[in-house]
Amino acid sequence: MAGESPSQAVPETVETALADRLVEGRVCLEAGAGVGNATAGLLAAGAERVYAVTDDPDHAATVRDRCDDATDRLVVVEADLRQTPLRPDSVDLVTAHGLCNLLDPAALAAVAAELSRVATAGCHLVVDDYEPLPESAAVRDLFAVENAASELATGRSALTFYPASLLRRLFTGHGWTFDRETTLLDPVPWTASHLSAHAGVVTDATEDLPPELGDPLERRAERLAEAIGEEFAGTMYSVAMTRREGDETP
Amino acid sequence: METRPLGATGQESTVATFGAIALNWLEQEGANQMVEHVLDHGVNHFDVAPTYGDAELKLGPKLRQHREDIFLGCKTQERDYEGAAHKLERSLDRLGVDTIDLYQIHGLEYESELDEITGDDGALAAIREAKDDGKVDHVGLTSHGNPGLIRDAIDRIDDLETLMFPLNPVVAGKDDDEHDYEAVLERAEEEDIGTLGIKAFAKGSWPPTSDLPEKDRPYANWYEPVDTPEEIRDRFDFAASQGLSTVVTPGDPKLVSMVLDAAGRYDGMDEATQRSLVEQSRHDDSPVPEQLHH
Ligand SMILES: C[S@@+](CC[C@H](N)C(=O)[O-])C[C@H]1O[C@@H](n2cnc3c(N)ncnc32)[C@H](O)[C@@H]1O
Repeated sequence: MAGESPSQAVPETVETALADRLVEGRVCLEAGAGVGNATAGLLAAGAERVYAVTDDPDHAATVRDRCDDATDRLVVVEADLRQTPLRPDSVDLVTAHGLCNLLDPAALAAVAAELSRVATAGCHLVVDDYEPLPESAAVRDLFAVENAASELATGRSALTFYPASLLRRLFTGHGWTFDRETTLLDPVPWTASHLSAHAGVVTDATEDLPPELGDPLERRAERLAEAIGEEFAGTMYSVAMTRREGDETP
Repeated sequence: METRPLGATGQESTVATFGAIALNWLEQEGANQMVEHVLDHGVNHFDVAPTYGDAELKLGPKLRQHREDIFLGCKTQERDYEGAAHKLERSLDRLGVDTIDLYQIHGLEYESELDEITGDDGALAAIREAKDDGKVDHVGLTSHGNPGLIRDAIDRIDDLETLMFPLNPVVAGKDDDEHDYEAVLERAEEEDIGTLGIKAFAKGSWPPTSDLPEKDRPYANWYEPVDTPEEIRDRFDFAASQGLSTVVTPGDPKLVSMVLDAAGRYDGMDEATQRSLVEQSRHDDSPVPEQLHH
C-alpha cells in the first residue's frame, strides 16, 4: 500500500460535514487543528488557503507533516484561538471539528467572539461536536475522572459536551444565521484507541499533582478504559451557519 | 426476507445469499439440515464453487430436492476455454443438476487474466457456449482484487451480469484507490449489473500462523470475523444498506444462523449509524494514531 496509511484518509464525519458547504476557492480557518482531519478534508475539497490553528506544537507538526503535499495552500498557525493573529474579515469558511468540547465555558465564549471577528460577511461556519452523553454511558465515568484530574491540575475541566442547540444560540448572538444541523455519528464509537487516549490525558494531568491525589485517579482511568473496552454511546452533530451580511457585532 | 433485483438478470434475490462453503465443514447430515435451515429463512440465492472442498457434493442432495426454489451461483478459477468447459461439466456433475443459474469467473486478480478470459480461447467463450447449450443462464465475475481491474472488466465484458466483491466498514473507511469498491458499486449500478457483497463480516486478518496456527482458528473464515449477534447485525445492515443486491453469508457454519436472523430483520440503516461503523473500524485499524476525537 504505497505509503497510503489509513490515517491519511479524510474521515466520513468531516466529508459529511463539508459536503454541502462551498469549500473550493475559499479561505478557511480550521479552529483547533488536532491531527488534521478537517484540515485534510478542506484541502481535499479544494480550499484556496487553510489557516490551521492550534495551540499545541505537536499537533502543528503533525498537521504540517500530514498535509505536506499542499504546503502552498496550508498555513499552520500556532496560536490561542481566543486571540489569533488573523485580520478581521479575512476568512470565508470556519470549521471547528471536535474543538468545542475541549473549551470550558469561558474559553468557548472568547473563541466564539474571535471566530466571528475574523469572518467575512457571508462566511460559513461548521461546528461539529458531541451532544452530552446519556446517563447510562459508561464512558462518562472515564470523562469524569479526566475532568477531575484536569480541574485539580489546571483549575479547568478537560471536556464539556455542549448541546448543538446551545452552540447554535451562542453563534446566533454573534451575528450568525442557522443553516442546518446534521447527525454525523449515531451512536458515537468510543473505541479502545479513543479510551486509551483519554486515559492518557489523565496520566498527563496527574503528573502535576501530588502522588496521593494523582495516582488513584490515574489508576482509576486505566481500569475504566480497560473495563469499558469499547462503547457506542451518544451522538456527534454538525451545525452549519452563515454570517449575516453587514453584521458588526461588537 | 427482503428481495432485490439481481441487476438485469430477472432474478429477485433475497438480501442474503447463502455462501455454501459453510457446508464443507459439516457432515452430509449436518449439511442437509443447514440447507433446510437456510431455505426456512426464505433465502433463494446460493453460491458455491468447486474449490470449496466438498461443498458442491454436500449441497447436491438438497439442491436437487429444492432445485426450483434455489437460484444457483457457481464459479470457475479456470481462465482458458478448455479448462472452463471442463470444470463446468465437473461442477454440473458434482452438484447433480442440468443447469447453473449464474456461472462466475472466480477471483480475478490480474489484468493479464482479464486479457485471457476475454480472448478467443478464453473462459468466457466456454461460458457463452454453455449458455447457448442451456447449461448456464447468466455470466458473472468475482474478485477481491484491485477495484480498478474490476471496473476494467465491466468495460470489457459486455454480457457481464453480476459482480461479487468485498464491502464492509473497514474497506469503506479507506480512501485509497486500492479499496475503492464503492466506485465499483456505482459503475455496476449504472450498468444494471447485479452485485453480491463478500467479507461483510470480516473484522481483520488472522494473526500470523506463528502466533495462531490455522487449525486453532475459532472460525473457518478467510478473515477473522465479527461474532456477536449485535456486531453481525450491524455488519449485515451496513452491507445491505450500501446498495448491493445481496450479501453473502460467511464461511463458518457457526455464524450462518446469526446472519440469517439479521437478514430477516433487515430494515435499513441510517447514514449516521453507517458512519459510526466506518469510524469504529478506522480507529480499530492499528496504523491510525490514538485520537480523542472522531
Ligand atoms: C482534538 S482537536 C480536534 C480535531 C481536529 N479539528 C481534527 O480535525 O483533526 C482539538 C485541537 O484544538 C486545539 N485547541 C484547544 N483549545 C485551543 C485554544 N484555546 N487555542 C488553540 N487551539 C486549541 C488542541 O490543541 C487541538 O489541536
